[in-house]
Amino acid sequence: MLKRGVRATGYLLGTLGTAAVTLVGLPLLCVPAVGRPWAGRHRRWAGRIRGVTVPPGQPLRRWYWVWLPAHVVAGLAAGLLTVLAVGNLLTAMVVTPLWWAFPADEPAKLFFDVPVRDWGTALALGAAEIVVLSAVVFLLLPLLADGYARATLALLAPSPAERLADRVEVLTRTRADVLEAHSAELRRIERDLHDGTQARLVAIAMRLAVARDALPDDPALVDRLLREAHESTEEAMTELRDVIRTMYPPILADRGLAGALRTVAARSGIRTDVEVGELGKVPAAVEAVAYFAAAEALTNVTKHSRADAAVVRAHRHGDQLSIVIRDDGAGGADEAAGSGLAGIRRRAEALDGVVTVSSPPGGPTTLTVELPCG
Amino acid sequence: MRVVIAEDNVLLSSGLELLLARRGFEVVATATDADAFLAAVGEHRPDVTIVDVRLPPSFRDEGIRAALRARRDHPGLPVLVLSQYVEHEYASELLASAPTGVGYLLKDRVSRVDEFVDALRRVAAGGTALDPEVVAQLLNRRSDPLATLTRRERELLALMAQGHDNATIAARLFITDNAVHKHISNIFAKLGLAATDSGHRRVLAVLAYLRA
Repeated sequence: MLKRGVRATGYLLGTLGTAAVTLVGLPLLCVPAVGRPWAGRHRRWAGRIRGVTVPPGQPLRRWYWVWLPAHVVAGLAAGLLTVLAVGNLLTAMVVTPLWWAFPADEPAKLFFDVPVRDWGTALALGAAEIVVLSAVVFLLLPLLADGYARATLALLAPSPAERLADRVEVLTRTRADVLEAHSAELRRIERDLHDGTQARLVAIAMRLAVARDALPDDPALVDRLLREAHESTEEAMTELRDVIRTMYPPILADRGLAGALRTVAARSGIRTDVEVGELGKVPAAVEAVAYFAAAEALTNVTKHSRADAAVVRAHRHGDQLSIVIRDDGAGGADEAAGSGLAGIRRRAEALDGVVTVSSPPGGPTTLTVELPCG
Repeated sequence: MRVVIAEDNVLLSSGLELLLARRGFEVVATATDADAFLAAVGEHRPDVTIVDVRLPPSFRDEGIRAALRARRDHPGLPVLVLSQYVEHEYASELLASAPTGVGYLLKDRVSRVDEFVDALRRVAAGGTALDPEVVAQLLNRRSDPLATLTRRERELLALMAQGHDNATIAARLFITDNAVHKHISNIFAKLGLAATDSGHRRVLAVLAYLRA
């Protein structure tokens, strides 16, 4: 109860502050680019009071324009009420034991405006005031905060139906991307095998056939054909290995994501620490994307960042797998500059994942890849 | 020389048997999984073993584990591990147990019969045979101090790390034994390694440096 009261007080005092800011900055807050984070912040605070998680980055709803003036009026009122209640409670707690220190012609006042001239009055009135105001702060303010948060969420957070509609829209788009990415991948593999390995096998078979034909009468030709067939076989093996590696790195199959991340880290040119939490069962497609992201990011780090050290973290929160690659380099990574970040994003988004890059000039650079495993 | 093979793919094991028989090796047993391999090693006490990394039942890294088990049970047992792809991590695990009589090569290398047989004999004699690709991975990791080496010196270091002796290195690079000696002392000086005699101890020093 104590904690709820303190939290509610904090929230309502914050509301007073933001209501004042809203009043002053009203024209600016009507600009959607400014309004979106403002609304998001209030949703988050309200969500914390209500004990619900609010998905970040939602678009502005029409109700935002209602909420703005309502927040100014109601926020100021609720905030001032809070200031009064809490302020008087604290005052009573100080004045009650110290009433005697006030000058005689200007006595201490408790319970609104009753002057205090002896210990009896002080204790009786002080206790009464503290009880009443405590009840207000610890019982009423939490209810007020809860109501305020509920109203805020009702106006600012999307309704379940809207959220569902957004989700369907996102999923429809990413599903199309997944299909497109998957088709492109199949075409690439088909082309690699068709133009490379398959063509080489045909050439090898032809050479061997001619060699058999020439066996009785042209040993020099047989020798040359066998040598060429041998070399082609080796090239085919190398190509095949490369194709397999881009489909699903064998180290993932052997050692799982944790082991594979460690080999990638060990292979990078700089000191790279790996922290892997309990990952549980991760789908192969997700593992592959996580692995490629880490490998690609570490290649970037080694090539561009001038970093001395990097760290790769892999953790599982519910059905989310998060991979974080951080380096202590120069920062300023630019996705548009074709640094491989776009490739990571494309692969991650194909699995409905989210990629965030933070790379201020001067560093450090942090790449976060969140991938759903469910 | 008596050989035990652990390879579940009949095409590959029969190919190996054919190749080894032609070069005067005696394949005393071919196991198709780790348990059969360990049993065969206990029974036949071979001079050298050849193990595929992926074996039943899960086709992951059973071969590496079987090789390590076999070497624990029979210290000094020479093991040459073959794989369709190579990771320096596996090489490190194999070398960590006891760095003598260990080989780790891509399966592709088998088709270069002379080099493969040379590697097998080296492993049987207690030497090492690391795939050039593994060595390349190791060299990539230590870019800083290695940047001071000339291209020739890097080639030489790679060949040393693969487990070759001076004579082979000289032949591969078309240089004299003396030149090899001179290059090696330059490399060791640049990397701050104590000069060791040629032979296996030097290979180990180089590998220890690259894996550190």
